[in-house]
Amino acid sequence: MQATSQQQLASAVILFQLGSSPLFLLAGPAKGDAWIAVFVGMLAGAVLLLTATLQIYRKEPNLSLIELLPKYFGRVLGTAIALAYIFYFTYKSVRNVREFGDLLNAFLLPNTPLVFLLFMVVLLSAYAVYHGADVFFRLTELVLPWIVFFYALVICFVLLTNLVHLENMEPVLERGLKPVVAAALPELISFPFGEMVLFLMFWRMTDSVSRTFRTTIMAFLFAGLFLVIANALILSVLGKMSFFTVIPLLQMTNLINVGGIVERLDPIILLLLFTGVYLKQTAYFLGAVLALSQLSGSKWRRCIPPIGILIFAGALAFRSYMEQVRIGFKLNLNYHFPIFQIVIPYLILAVILIRSFKSRRAEN
Amino acid sequence: MRWFGQLLPFFRSSGRSQQGRRKAQHSSSGAGQGPARSADLNAALSRSLKKNLADVRRLLGDSADLTVREIGGSEGDSVAAVLYLESIVDSELVNRYVMTPLMEWTVGKLTGDRIAHVRENLPVGRLQELNKMGDLVTYLLNGYSIILTDGVAATFAAATTGGERRSVEEPSSQTVTRGPKESFTESILTNMTLLRRRIKSPDLRVESFTIGRKTGTFVNLLYLEGITLPAAVKEIRDRLAKIDVDSILDSGYIEEFIQEETWTLFPTIQNTERPDAVAAGLLEGQAAIIVDGSPFALLAPSSFVKFFQSSEDYYSRYDIASFLRIIRYISFLVSILLPSLYIAITTFHQEMLPTPLLISLASQREGVPFPALVEALLMELTFEVLREAGVRMPRVVGPAISIVGALVLGQAAVQAGLVSAAMIIVVSFTAIANFVIPTTNMSAAARLIRFFMMILGGTLGLFGIMSGLMVLLIHLVSLKSFGIPYMTPLAPFIWNNMKDVLVRVPWPIMKKRPMVSGQHNATRQADSMRVPSGSDRKREGGDR
Repeated sequence: MQATSQQQLASAVILFQLGSSPLFLLAGPAKGDAWIAVFVGMLAGAVLLLTATLQIYRKEPNLSLIELLPKYFGRVLGTAIALAYIFYFTYKSVRNVREFGDLLNAFLLPNTPLVFLLFMVVLLSAYAVYHGADVFFRLTELVLPWIVFFYALVICFVLLTNLVHLENMEPVLERGLKPVVAAALPELISFPFGEMVLFLMFWRMTDSVSRTFRTTIMAFLFAGLFLVIANALILSVLGKMSFFTVIPLLQMTNLINVGGIVERLDPIILLLLFTGVYLKQTAYFLGAVLALSQLSGSKWRRCIPPIGILIFAGALAFRSYMEQVRIGFKLNLNYHFPIFQIVIPYLILAVILIRSFKSRRAEN
Repeated sequence: MRWFGQLLPFFRSSGRSQQGRRKAQHSSSGAGQGPARSADLNAALSRSLKKNLADVRRLLGDSADLTVREIGGSEGDSVAAVLYLESIVDSELVNRYVMTPLMEWTVGKLTGDRIAHVRENLPVGRLQELNKMGDLVTYLLNGYSIILTDGVAATFAAATTGGERRSVEEPSSQTVTRGPKESFTESILTNMTLLRRRIKSPDLRVESFTIGRKTGTFVNLLYLEGITLPAAVKEIRDRLAKIDVDSILDSGYIEEFIQEETWTLFPTIQNTERPDAVAAGLLEGQAAIIVDGSPFALLAPSSFVKFFQSSEDYYSRYDIASFLRIIRYISFLVSILLPSLYIAITTFHQEMLPTPLLISLASQREGVPFPALVEALLMELTFEVLREAGVRMPRVVGPAISIVGALVLGQAAVQAGLVSAAMIIVVSFTAIANFVIPTTNMSAAARLIRFFMMILGGTLGLFGIMSGLMVLLIHLVSLKSFGIPYMTPLAPFIWNNMKDVLVRVPWPIMKKRPMVSGQHNATRQADSMRVPSGSDRKREGGDR
């Protein structure tokens, strides 16, 4: 397997961060200041990345998350936490698969049974996972320029159609910074800015620790700023409408009309969104498969069917899109995901630091 | 082929050697004796001329074109003999440079070391001393003249290869309006000539293989020392040496035996009949394989973008070349996607179309008895039939096909209400777009993928097409050609190589060799060869 190049890592981080995020209006509770909340969330995510996730990688650049857990927490506890992470990765993939399927059903293929669509979506991911991590990273590298190009095109069209009404965003910080921060934390860390914990599975495939460190941060900030801009754009175009629509981005692009020629871009936007969701769900799928194979010691391709079936079954288990969104945004983001994204990483880092401190003292 | 080799251990022979030809092989020897057996072929030559001659005759089954000319002494008691196969030697050469000297020496009167005498005095460039029956037969079958003398258990083979060959003509499949107009022929020697004339560098390495137990085909592996990646050369060499089959009749055989991935629609090895394209490939770090009997040379390792480059891109101006390059990529996409998009949009996503267009399409389709998918599949298959007919039919009936194809199937089908006019437009444009792709094997891939896409688009709409594209992309990035990722330089992305991908920048800017060679001996131009900037020109003007 070839080492993952820095460009590949950067494209993977960017696409992973974008992922399904443009589907939602992030930090909706902050109302007109949502874009500031996204910015705050991004900063918080960057701090988390810098002080926890990347630090763990720096201390143990050659171990994946699953491999370092038993080392620092002992076999029983370490394996238990590793299993929890496998479950977490799988569950994250499940959420994306379900989103994918539901959106397909709602917007493109209303008459096709959801089961079939979910099956196709999981199969599509499994095909990418089957080819391994280096192929997945090359895929992101190949896809990224197109995604960036199309998003840039959409933004151009929005500006050309003269849709932007900056007054929609005024007054800025009407009720002070407090509700903004409250909207940002911890929800926005959980989704999407804290999800970088997955890359503890991938970073060790890169060639240089220091460059990986820099690339990750730069790519993370790029994706974050894009989300801030997208958020601001949606707010300025849709105003109060943005809080009530299912997919605000789609609502916005619906309004695009450049000279009567460029209009009805919805399917293209949808495909753009799907690509993002697809890549994200595949990244989690891949992470879960690698984690399971490292934990169980079996060949990683053997781990694809069990994880795939788990994802498929999990995606079917939600009763509706609304239930899925409610569980995700009300419960998971506040209570469950922070454990994996914030608590455990800091715990790992603390144990690593204490261990190295102890061993250094023992040497002296 | 492994099991076959194990069944017949004596048929296994050394993989690669510069001169050593494959030994156990060759045509049947008649008279009910069955094929030549390895015991006979491995036997050393006898000291008796008579026995040697009898053995050769027996091994070749008294072939009608085997000519044996005995010299000196009376019939049946001669001291020397010249053997050759009439059909594949140049009899002028044999008569003048082998027969004449031998006759003049009156070999019979020679005393002492006859072998040494022949070696020193026969005016032939390639002279090979042999002492095994098998080698003798091999050389004989390759157009050499064999000189046997009585009382010596050794023999000479003199290169007198000849026979009819096609002359160098204009390329028929990869034509250019500007650029060299020579193309390869079936003769490996002619092809080598064409290449050596283009690359006059001592670094051009040629390795010879003989592949095919029955055909004994010569295969040359060419590369530039110091430019081609040694790892890639080694890989190709190993894979060539592993080939163990009966016959190699064209480079297409070799391609399928050495390619990395068999189960793919995409070609991972280029083929070309243009010597200049091969030279360019060599200079960009590819290795070339030329096969005797095939006017198509292979180039490997290769990448996806290579199949969209035509030789002419480099001979015509960069601006038009870049424009055409982009047209080709778009045509490739059109050729894969247009029918499926048409099906998907008219079946599932009518809201995407402007209302007037939608109404027009709907009115055209009124009365068409099939769903769009069936209609499109029918028309595409019809076109493929027409195309195949156009390739296979005798040239004289050409006009008939075009009349039937264009008028009957096109116009009449619409008038009869079997298909809609829009569908005819879509299918024809797709077909034309397919012809834009400069390499036939890549356009073949596009033709096949199109059908999968149409089925996906007809069943799952845009989502199906997107899934298909995603699978295609994953497949493409997972492919490799001799260790080089197929999508280089797009993924892994190499900025410097992008100068020759979507566009072709002016020559002075392409300082580095693209792609395959990577960092290996990358610079190909002197520093002074840069594009003069405005200030440079001003300074030159001032100097004058």
